[in-house]
Amino acid sequence: MDFIVESLRTAFALILSFDGEVFNTVGTSLTISSVAIVIATLISVPIGIVIALNQFTGKTFCLTILNTLMALPTVVVGLVVYGFLSRQGPLGQFGLLFTPGAMIIGQVILATPIVTNYTLAAVVGSDPRILPTAQTLGAGPLTGIMVLIKEIRFGIMAALIAGFGRIVAEVGVAMMLGGNIRGYTRTMTTAIALETSKGEFAFGLALGLILLGVALAINIFLNFLQQRSR
Amino acid sequence: MSELYRLEQIRYRYANERRLALDIDTLSIDAGHLYSLHGANGSGKSTLLNCLALLLPPQSGALYFGQRRVQRGWFSLPRLRRQITLVHQSPYMFDGRVSDNLRMALRLKGVCSNQAQQAIDDALDNVGLKDFHQRNARELSGGEQKRVALARALALKPKVLLLDEPTANMDKYSVERLEQLIYTLPEQGITVIIASHDLAQAQRLNSRIIEIQHGQIIADGDIPIKEHCYA
Repeated sequence: MDFIVESLRTAFALILSFDGEVFNTVGTSLTISSVAIVIATLISVPIGIVIALNQFTGKTFCLTILNTLMALPTVVVGLVVYGFLSRQGPLGQFGLLFTPGAMIIGQVILATPIVTNYTLAAVVGSDPRILPTAQTLGAGPLTGIMVLIKEIRFGIMAALIAGFGRIVAEVGVAMMLGGNIRGYTRTMTTAIALETSKGEFAFGLALGLILLGVALAINIFLNFLQQRSR
Repeated sequence: MSELYRLEQIRYRYANERRLALDIDTLSIDAGHLYSLHGANGSGKSTLLNCLALLLPPQSGALYFGQRRVQRGWFSLPRLRRQITLVHQSPYMFDGRVSDNLRMALRLKGVCSNQAQQAIDDALDNVGLKDFHQRNARELSGGEQKRVALARALALKPKVLLLDEPTANMDKYSVERLEQLIYTLPEQGITVIIASHDLAQAQRLNSRIIEIQHGQIIADGDIPIKEHCYA
């Protein structure tokens, strides 16, 4: 128990002293995951809305695939993208492997099914009168969708948070596509794995606490937005 | 007297339903008049209103609006719809205050924000909700929400106003006030079509009554009355 308490003390000391190594890692994590979630949102929200609002052959199959992709193992994504980006791979010429760009690609692939599914659920669960009301008030096809997005914004925000939570906490993609390069592609999760294996438990714990803090901060922010809108 | 709508051989059937929800051979609606669609629950009144609002494309037949045949199209339909506003039986209130609801509608129609405030004030005043600007629209009673929806529609100054059971769940005073307002709308050039099962209301409004049953028009014309109330 002393080991845990001592490690926690050291972890808090590292956080409160604004340790450069810790905050550099946190910054890399947040930057890469933020860019990835923005790209994933731009892809997923329109797809989710289109699938939710339209009836087409194979919709059930499409939903099954989307649900399956939500549980996509991160190492599998890492492996497949690695194959594409490695020097012998079809995209090897771009030299993206072991760069933040490669990690963003992998995280976008991980987040897209989650954000799509959550958006889809938000649209399906929304009031069916939203679109007809917007249309009868003069909305065109795109403005009608914008009204719908505004009305289900909290559902979409939940989608973003779920997606962000998934990618900021994953290890497989970050490790395989980023290579865990210090100060460049080292994220909170890969650093936790590395430092713990090196016996630097307190350092890993500090990053773990920050990771939890990030999740808490995002949820507090969402609650704040929800309260403010009421 | 100019013809606003003409319906020819209009048929509509909902998915998984055996009988037709709409089965209209011909129907003509003139501009600048007040019409009442009268019929029992499930007779097809709301379906016809949705069809007239260009929200529900008929599965067969031809619908003419302003002498032009309505074609399904991504950009042509919204342009036509901007002349028509439908107030649903149970209207949807956008998230926010009452004034936000009206502002949203005006923004959708492309009314600039300078003109919007005056239009919002006038519309809310018309429906007797002058002091409701700051109230949360979703916290209002059903009757008040209907009046907000009517104000939202009136603020847009539509050519056609379609009202689905506009006075259901309203107190007597509000009904009277709204009927008086509706009665004056054709004078402002607005064609009003009301779906209602209240024949007495149709008569009070001196409207042309279209009787609908099982999706079919069974009577189309004035029902003789002694004297209407709001003359």
